[in-house]
Amino acid sequence: MVAFIILAVLLVTAGVGVITLRQPVHAALSLVAGILALAAIYVTLEAHFLAAIQVIVYAGAVMVLFLFVIMLLNVGRTRAASLKWLKPAAWVTGALSLAAVVTVVFVVQQPLPEFAVIDAALRGGNADAVGDALFTDHLLSFHLVGVLLLVGIVGAVALVQQTVPARRTRQGVAQQEPQDAPELVAAGEGN
Amino acid sequence: MVQTEYYVALSAILFALGGIGVLTRRSAIMLFLSIELMLNAANLAIIAYARQWSAVGAQHALDGQAAAFIVLAIAAAEVAVGLGILVAIFRNRVSTDVDELSEVRL
Amino acid sequence: MNDLVQLASLAPLLALAGAIINGLFGRSLRGNAPGVIASLAVAAGFVLSLIAFLGVRAGGAVRVRFGDFLVAGDLNIGLGFHFDQLSVLMMLIITGVGLLIHIYSIGYMQGDDGFSRYFAQLNLFVAAMLVLVMADSFPLMFVGWEGVGVCSFLLIGFWYKDLKNASAGRKAFIVNRVGDFGFLLAMFLTFKAFGTLDIQAVNAAAPSFAYGAAILTGIGLLYLLAAAGKSAQLPLHTWLPDAMAGPTPVSALIHAATMVTAGVYLIARTGGIFANAPSAAATVVWVAVLTALMAAIVAIGQTDIKKILAWSTISQVGFMVAAVGAGAYWAGIFHVLTHAFFKALLFLGAGSVIHALGGEQDVRKMGGLGRKMRVTGTTSLIATLAIAGVPFLSGYFSKDAILGALLTSSPLGNYGGQILFALLMVTAGITAFYMFRWYYLVFAGEPRSSAEYERAHESPAVMTVPLGILAVGSVLIGYVGLPAFLAPNAIQEWLAPVMAHVDFDHLNTSAEWMLLLGSVLVAAVGLGLGYWVYVIGSGELAKRIGNTPLANASRGAFGIDRLYRGLFTEPGEGLAEGVASLDRDVVDRGLTGVSGAVPLLGRLLVLLQSGYVRAYAFAMVLGVLALAVVAALIGVLA
Repeated sequence: MVAFIILAVLLVTAGVGVITLRQPVHAALSLVAGILALAAIYVTLEAHFLAAIQVIVYAGAVMVLFLFVIMLLNVGRTRAASLKWLKPAAWVTGALSLAAVVTVVFVVQQPLPEFAVIDAALRGGNADAVGDALFTDHLLSFHLVGVLLLVGIVGAVALVQQTVPARRTRQGVAQQEPQDAPELVAAGEGN
Repeated sequence: MVQTEYYVALSAILFALGGIGVLTRRSAIMLFLSIELMLNAANLAIIAYARQWSAVGAQHALDGQAAAFIVLAIAAAEVAVGLGILVAIFRNRVSTDVDELSEVRL
Repeated sequence: MNDLVQLASLAPLLALAGAIINGLFGRSLRGNAPGVIASLAVAAGFVLSLIAFLGVRAGGAVRVRFGDFLVAGDLNIGLGFHFDQLSVLMMLIITGVGLLIHIYSIGYMQGDDGFSRYFAQLNLFVAAMLVLVMADSFPLMFVGWEGVGVCSFLLIGFWYKDLKNASAGRKAFIVNRVGDFGFLLAMFLTFKAFGTLDIQAVNAAAPSFAYGAAILTGIGLLYLLAAAGKSAQLPLHTWLPDAMAGPTPVSALIHAATMVTAGVYLIARTGGIFANAPSAAATVVWVAVLTALMAAIVAIGQTDIKKILAWSTISQVGFMVAAVGAGAYWAGIFHVLTHAFFKALLFLGAGSVIHALGGEQDVRKMGGLGRKMRVTGTTSLIATLAIAGVPFLSGYFSKDAILGALLTSSPLGNYGGQILFALLMVTAGITAFYMFRWYYLVFAGEPRSSAEYERAHESPAVMTVPLGILAVGSVLIGYVGLPAFLAPNAIQEWLAPVMAHVDFDHLNTSAEWMLLLGSVLVAAVGLGLGYWVYVIGSGELAKRIGNTPLANASRGAFGIDRLYRGLFTEPGEGLAEGVASLDRDVVDRGLTGVSGAVPLLGRLLVLLQSGYVRAYAFAMVLGVLALAVVAALIGVLA
């Protein structure tokens, strides 16, 4: 319980930081902290494998990518605000929907199974168990995700490719019109 | 053991925060960060319920975690492509202000 | 013989043909051709009426049926004409006097833009009036009734470009409408009571109905309403003075000789009903006498040469209606006959004066014209004496007949017959007075306006010849109705087969002589009074009289027009204005508001398209939340 509370506080703080910090790098690092906290929470939820993956993929790759782009684009200061009504509206909407969800979750309670039953039935969330599930029950989804990643790679490369400078056009020799010399000479003699 | 409701509440908080961030932040990158936050919140909810319903059968837990795994992969792909788009758009502009993209009229 | 009589059915058709020819092609006809065509049509009608008259004289009433008119359920009305003594007499009046007026009009309407239109409408009127008197059933009579109403409207507003004339025509039509409403209700009641709308059948069945039954009285009163509308009796008389806006020959034909007598004809025709509903008949007489008295008083104060004659017509028609109400149907028709002559003559004479003076109608600007317009002056004098009741002229005999009827009518005795007799005697005296005034102010004495006097000239022959013929008629026609105790009363005997039976007291010979002399006395008093005021007293006495309250009431026609204006016209206009503003402000604004709402809506929607991604994102968030709420609710409810 204590662990949960500490981690929860950490996570929420990180979330708030993401959305309020002015400097983009600060916000990105705040998200990293949040991801790490989230990984710890996964552990408490008996999803150890996923926690590891979270750290490796999310914190290690995705956030690094973010930081690269932030530095690449030199995200600068913001201009004068338009849509002034949006900030308060967003906060209000967020608070209200949060309150609604929390109410629903805590008030409309389904009878949940006992803790002891859960603990015994769960098989530890370790790598080979999840891998088994992925490669047997969810094989199609797994492969589709692979294709999706491939598409993502290709798309990303295509997006950032610089436009190829146009080649200077030159007329091919075969297209040149043949001209007879005597006519040229005759035209010249006419002068 | 902490009850599932708390995890779900936490997920809701994070999701709401992410949503607010999407609407409030004006830089495109910050927008994206908020979206990632939302995705993570969703993942948390999935895994929390996965543990919950494992009481009915261990398979449910593994299904939930596999789903979370796939969501993770999709998030990664989405980040790649999304940031690529952002780079493509904002390469030639001075600022990354989303509001300046107001030519998009539905 | 029957066939010859039936030939008279062509008369309205000929008039109608004349109307159509003039109406469609009149504009392209040269010169007086439209007038000649119209006159020929009416002349042919006169000849046919004459033939019918002789035929009926020889062989009695003739009926002809052309087919079905209205057949529905229990109702079976045929299209047919009924030629009996009464209808052929009316036909002769209509076509005879009508012919003279048509010929006169050729001269009067010379040079007018609407020359052919005038004759088309005049012919149409003759056709409708003939149908009215020839009809054998109430609905067909109603067709003619409405037809003359329409033609009256058209002809009153003949010079429609002037709004006053058009308004006068409209007023005539609307007031007539009230009467028509009475006619319709009477028809409905008649059908309910008798099961048929055939005139002869109704008259035959009436006596076997309970005497004085309520339904008979109701029918009678409704027919009185109809007659009041058409014949300009109280309370529906207000249209006739305004109708003088039309051309003068129109006033002569329609508003003196024929249309205004349609009401008299109606009551005479339905004599069977009135004879068996004494209270209705008495109402008729009271209305008529009061009208006659009132109109005579008003006529004294008028200054327009035609308006004096208009009020005089109202008064004289009151005499006729009183006669038929009292049960002396023949006397009323007799006065119709004589009045047609001398009133038409008076109007045509007035028209001659107006024509000569280039449109002047104010008698205060006339005077002494008799010296310059000999024929007009002389014939007008004859007519004046006739209407005043001077002995040996036509008016004397017909008026005497009416007065005698009022005194001796047996059913009328219960309802104040003697009072009515006295009132009508007084009215006769007043008639003499104002007619003297009319003649004197126009034709005699010194000219009051030298400009007008200089301009005056006698009218062309086409106008003066009809005047002469009518003058002869005004003198001689009275002899068809000599008092019964002196000589055979031709017209009473002629109409006897058609008239319903009403009891009359018998006066002994000395009483009869007293009556005759009394009429002479009354006429003499009236004329003498006129002479005294205008000739001997010249201007001063007339002016003094003119300032009395009675004179003011006379000039303002007892304020009845103003009363109607306040009671009906202004609320009606207010209602119309209210509805119009409702239409303008509510309906129109509502419509433009609806059509204005669309751009408004569009402008609102445009606000959504700000182009800002974040705004769109917010919209998506809201949408998702809404969906979530709906899903949750479904989940909860299910």
